[in-house]
Amino acid sequence: MEQRIFRIALAGNPNCGKTTIFNQLTGTRQHVGNYPGVTVERKSGFCRIGDLQTEIVDLPGIYSLSSSSPEEKVAFRELMNGDIDMILNVIDSGNAQRNLYLTTQLAELDLPMLLVFNMIDDAEQRGLHFDFRKFEGFFGAPVVPTVGSTGVGMQELRDAIVAIAREPNPQRPVKPKYGPKTDQAIRALTEEVQVLQRPETRRIPARYFAIKLLECDSEICARPEFASLLAPAADWRRKISTRNGINSETLMADYRYGVIAGACREAIKLSNERRRQLSDSIDRIATNRFLGLPIFLLMMYLVFMFTFVIGQYPMDALEWFFGKLGDGINAVWPVGSAEFLRRLLVEGVIGGVGGVLVFLPNILLLFLAIAFLEGTGYMARAAFVMDGFMHMFGLHGKSFIPMLLGFGCSVPAIMATRTIESERDRLTTIMVIPFMSCGARLPIYSMIIPAFFAVKYQALMMWLMYLIGVVVALGCALLLKSTIFRGDGEVFVMELPPYRMPTLQSIVIQMWERAVMYLHKAGTLILFASVILFFINTFPEKTVFETDYPAEIAALEASGRGEEEIAAGVAALKGDMQNEKLQYSTAGRIGKALATVLAPIGFDWRVSSALIGAFAAKEVFVAQLGILFSVEDSEASPAMLQERLRSTYTPLQAFCIMLFCLLTIPCIATMAIVKRETNSWKLTGFQILLYTVTAYSLTFVVFQVGSLLRIGTGFLQ
Amino acid sequence: MANNPLISSSLEDYLEAIAEIIERNGHAHTKDIADRLQVKMPSVTNALQALSARGLINYQSHSPVELTSEGAEMAAVIRHRHKVLKRFFAEVLKIDPESSDAAACRIEHVISETALSRIVVLAEAIAGREDCAPLRAYLEETMPKICAEETEELISLDKLPKGRAAVVVRVAENLRGLKKFADLGLVSGTLLQVEGRAPFGDLLRVRVMGSSLSLRAGDAMHIWVKLA
Repeated sequence: MEQRIFRIALAGNPNCGKTTIFNQLTGTRQHVGNYPGVTVERKSGFCRIGDLQTEIVDLPGIYSLSSSSPEEKVAFRELMNGDIDMILNVIDSGNAQRNLYLTTQLAELDLPMLLVFNMIDDAEQRGLHFDFRKFEGFFGAPVVPTVGSTGVGMQELRDAIVAIAREPNPQRPVKPKYGPKTDQAIRALTEEVQVLQRPETRRIPARYFAIKLLECDSEICARPEFASLLAPAADWRRKISTRNGINSETLMADYRYGVIAGACREAIKLSNERRRQLSDSIDRIATNRFLGLPIFLLMMYLVFMFTFVIGQYPMDALEWFFGKLGDGINAVWPVGSAEFLRRLLVEGVIGGVGGVLVFLPNILLLFLAIAFLEGTGYMARAAFVMDGFMHMFGLHGKSFIPMLLGFGCSVPAIMATRTIESERDRLTTIMVIPFMSCGARLPIYSMIIPAFFAVKYQALMMWLMYLIGVVVALGCALLLKSTIFRGDGEVFVMELPPYRMPTLQSIVIQMWERAVMYLHKAGTLILFASVILFFINTFPEKTVFETDYPAEIAALEASGRGEEEIAAGVAALKGDMQNEKLQYSTAGRIGKALATVLAPIGFDWRVSSALIGAFAAKEVFVAQLGILFSVEDSEASPAMLQERLRSTYTPLQAFCIMLFCLLTIPCIATMAIVKRETNSWKLTGFQILLYTVTAYSLTFVVFQVGSLLRIGTGFLQ
Repeated sequence: MANNPLISSSLEDYLEAIAEIIERNGHAHTKDIADRLQVKMPSVTNALQALSARGLINYQSHSPVELTSEGAEMAAVIRHRHKVLKRFFAEVLKIDPESSDAAACRIEHVISETALSRIVVLAEAIAGREDCAPLRAYLEETMPKICAEETEELISLDKLPKGRAAVVVRVAENLRGLKKFADLGLVSGTLLQVEGRAPFGDLLRVRVMGSSLSLRAGDAMHIWVKLA
């Protein structure tokens, strides 16, 4: 009978445990996508409840139903146009009064609604007692208490969903009243909306549009079909504000809270209220005037230790595996047949993608740590603690988290900027995030630093690179915020949710989503770039050499000198041959052409051509250098490449290479995401220019001053 | 003497202004009226046409505006009401002249003739009668304090000491993004408590309903609270 898919929208405030409920209902059958035009994630999942086939749409966490932030806009559109059959409104029971504000607005949609009082255990522990029958009466919607993290109440929730779906004419929520004058205005405007006979009023009541017009909602007011109603709406707003002394938006908010306050007084009984003892105690320390910052820095240090120290083991294993894989293919490949294909596979594909996948453990661990910190609620404290600092650079605390994510990968970091409501702050943050030293630059440092600097300086060097990135990013933010993105003066409010232990499932799902995003980028773009690079590194192929290398090698081997001496001589000759070959190739030619421009910052043609690869994706830089320096085995171990680098460059040059890689144009994937997030080619182009100029001029200064003062010309051993 | 019910409060303001300008300068030009009421010329023209249509003024473009006898009488009534109310606010309620003027401006259009006449009697009694002397002394002492006490009681949220609970009385309406405050529960009548401040910078941490919010001191300045 029931072939039609029953569509349920999951709505609720941020931090109300909505996602846990979503995970409980759909399990792993989730689909994560993006809403067209914006970057807010669209999460949905299909699940069978009894014999009811449902699709559950997890709307982004919102405080109110309007269109003042991207999340709100998305939720607003989904609810209005999304063919939704019922709303599952998740409420944090411990904070019902604030959470129900959204409920009063959802009620206006006149869709069947189910109120889920989540985290009921926590609220009851704090001494709150609920009379759900009363809430049902006040809001005209059934109530189900749940504990999302343990699954308590989930069966009741499923039953309640089925009961509503089966009901031919389900109960509709109670709509709040807004006082005599406002109600009169709503009635008058409703009639005018009805006269228009818009198709959308068939699903959503005209009254809803009347309210939004009265509230001056930007999305509804911008619709041309309602243009004729703007004047009467403005007229009513004026009347309401002269009558009540406050504007209509504030008045309506007051009335909604009034309804809720009345309901909560009746339906929630308080017996010796206990505050969240533990949460408050943690906060007394974590956001303490003196301890807050050191604790935050310690947390970040732990995150990095976790990511990079523990990540080292699987990294080594992966490196070993890809080395062996290359060797294995070389060993079993029939000698002489399809030589080109073998090289493409071993040098291009395994060399390139293998080199990228090696850093997957880092990415996974970093995102695991970040998902954990987000889940516990510490991230909001980090924003709170850091706000004073970020504010000096024209940003606010909320920009800090995306910038922190920038240490992992610019792509998800830029996507995370959507939590910033203010458009200017968001754009500024997007512009500076790629300066944060991302995970893909790490291979460059890990290759170069051990090659050039003594063990005691290695950590310092690494720290310095990250610090420079942060300083440049903040400097640029300040510059941008005082010029093209000058503040719009919007008020800033941020919620600090109570500390909670996140469920393992939600952390893993979140980590997985982000890892897939990274892998997707690595798997497609990097592979593509590696193959392209293989071509430009190999062709045109040199066949006639300056020196007859095979003859020289044969002569050396026949000379009867010591075995070691012969081996060294042969290696040197082969290296020279490789070198000559590459100078002849496309990459070598582009590199040489660029070398003139890059000479003042200390780069030779090899670094220049590796930088061509680095534009495709930062992690390719190492793969490219590897190919450019390899003696004969392209899967040479890092030690060999490091050996080669050490004999070619000075530590100053090495530092300049790292500095340039840190500051230069972000990878193509970053550019693509910037374009999508800013929705502007102009800003994307501006970013390319900004990064190129910054990288070149800073590296120029460092190299020239360094050379002049003879810093880092010898080994820092 | 009956107030013409067809005339709106803004037209009354025009009539009042015209009478005052004529008294001062001898004649009233459209430009003078616009300057005095701080409105645009077309608005003045509109208003003058409306007044002219009601037979209160003689109005031809390019010549000074003249009051008809009916208009002069009405203007006198309006000005008298204004003066009486202003005196009442200033002398009885001890409100400063500027605020008295502003308050009178608003009330003069809506108060009934009877109420106004009775206010006149009350004001004159308090000001002149011998047996009202103790009352005068009492008012002298009490009235200024009422106003002072009220401003003392209302403080802006950024000045609220840590740990003190307070109730939101008013949120300034000219803030950009004011809706965010309302969405998170910062509306009048809400009980809140300052929990602390960020280690450095100007972030304030406030407990509102069941949650902890952080906001800038600069924004909190626009939220007026009363100690609970």
